[in-house]
Amino acid sequence: MMQRPGWDAAPPDVDLRGVWTAVAAQVWRRKPGPFERLAGWLLRSPGLARALVTTPSLLLGWIIATVVVLGAGAAVTSGTGVPLVALLAPALAAAGIAYAYGPGIDPAWELTRSMAVSDRMVLLVRALAVFGLNAALGLAASAVSLSVGSGAAAAVTFGWLLPMTAVCALALAAATLARSANVGVAAGLGGWAITVVAAGGSSGRFTALTDSSFVLPYLAFAACCGAVVLYATRIPRGLS
Amino acid sequence: MNVEIAGLTRHFGRNQAVAGVDLEAGPGVFGLLGPNGAGKTSLLRMMATVLSPSSGKMRLLDRDPGSYGPRREIRRRLGYLPQNLGYYPSFTVVEFVEYFALLKEMPAARVPAAVATAVERADLGDKARAKLRTLSGGMLRRVGIAQAIVNDPELLLLDEPTAGLDPEQRVAFRALLRDLGERATVVVSTHLVEDVGAACTEVALMNAGKIVFRGTPEQLTARGEGHGVGDAPLERGYSAVLTEARS
Repeated sequence: MMQRPGWDAAPPDVDLRGVWTAVAAQVWRRKPGPFERLAGWLLRSPGLARALVTTPSLLLGWIIATVVVLGAGAAVTSGTGVPLVALLAPALAAAGIAYAYGPGIDPAWELTRSMAVSDRMVLLVRALAVFGLNAALGLAASAVSLSVGSGAAAAVTFGWLLPMTAVCALALAAATLARSANVGVAAGLGGWAITVVAAGGSSGRFTALTDSSFVLPYLAFAACCGAVVLYATRIPRGLS
Repeated sequence: MNVEIAGLTRHFGRNQAVAGVDLEAGPGVFGLLGPNGAGKTSLLRMMATVLSPSSGKMRLLDRDPGSYGPRREIRRRLGYLPQNLGYYPSFTVVEFVEYFALLKEMPAARVPAAVATAVERADLGDKARAKLRTLSGGMLRRVGIAQAIVNDPELLLLDEPTAGLDPEQRVAFRALLRDLGERATVVVSTHLVEDVGAACTEVALMNAGKIVFRGTPEQLTARGEGHGVGDAPLERGYSAVLTEARS
């Protein structure tokens, strides 16, 4: 399409277009950041690594907002004893998961669906990355607000990590089925609110159902939601 | 044949967008014409493996897109420009084209040269490092074309590629289409009949989810002889075929 001025005047044995393209390729070449290089090495796919670093809910503004909310929650928890970190962490992670990928969230969603790197893999690595980051931030907030002792790990695990897994899985399943991040967020936050209110009704204070007897139900629920996501993102068969 | 389609349908609830399309296409530029709602975009989306058919058979690049492995191989060799191109406003032109080169699983070492070639072919060399949010609608369309051709596709699907291009750019784009069509199957969905006349070796006209005409642009022109509606001969052919199909 492009014919730059002067190319016609080049000697016949000189491929000015080829030279120009080779120079442009080097000048325009993008240098991936250290995180993207690490992700590319771990995932064995530069495309998947690039898709990971474009996750909307891993952008700097979103991460700063999560840090601020969890930081405030940690301050309140350590000052008053109200378990705000345990209440906030699952809700924040669920919203992050729902806003990780999908129509209306990822601008190039339609194009991405036509790519060799499957959108199921994009969804999976983005969900894992958001979950991992939120879990790390939640752990940091818990470390600040909890007295470090023998019961701290159990308090974190049963207090919000397991419920967070289940709530994130619910948000992901709802967003995938409805093809709407907002529906995913609504389902995740709604499910978490019901859990908290139900626990509050029986104990008299707002907290999650954190007894160790709820481990299996939380994990089973998360597994069911995971199965729904796999089913909803399957490749239809028998039509070709 | 790069495209083999038989009895392809697609429903959206009660609405039948594609109602039994049969189509075969080899290398060349294939124009897909039709009024709004004729089913062109749905057909193109199914060929891009973005949308699943409701029924029918489809083989692309001699592979079955219904199975994971062949589907992935098709996608490596496919170029697709959707009607509504979504983009990341903070990406530069080169970053955007490179992103899709990587998602098409091009070997990483080949990507910089392929990106530079695609950007130059789309006449975007002067804007290579410009952020997408600073570009006009016509330039964004060319960015979409650049990402579609970055892998030198064997099957190129373009939905309204000339929307937003100025006349000079459209003339240059038609030349690019003809060049691409010498090796690949290029399917162009468009409202602009003159694009079809200038660039396409074959044309199909869709109405109400079905192909109601298939032939060369000259044959379509011939169908318009004596028909009063339309300013140009090809437009009269288009109008004549549609009038006949609707009656």
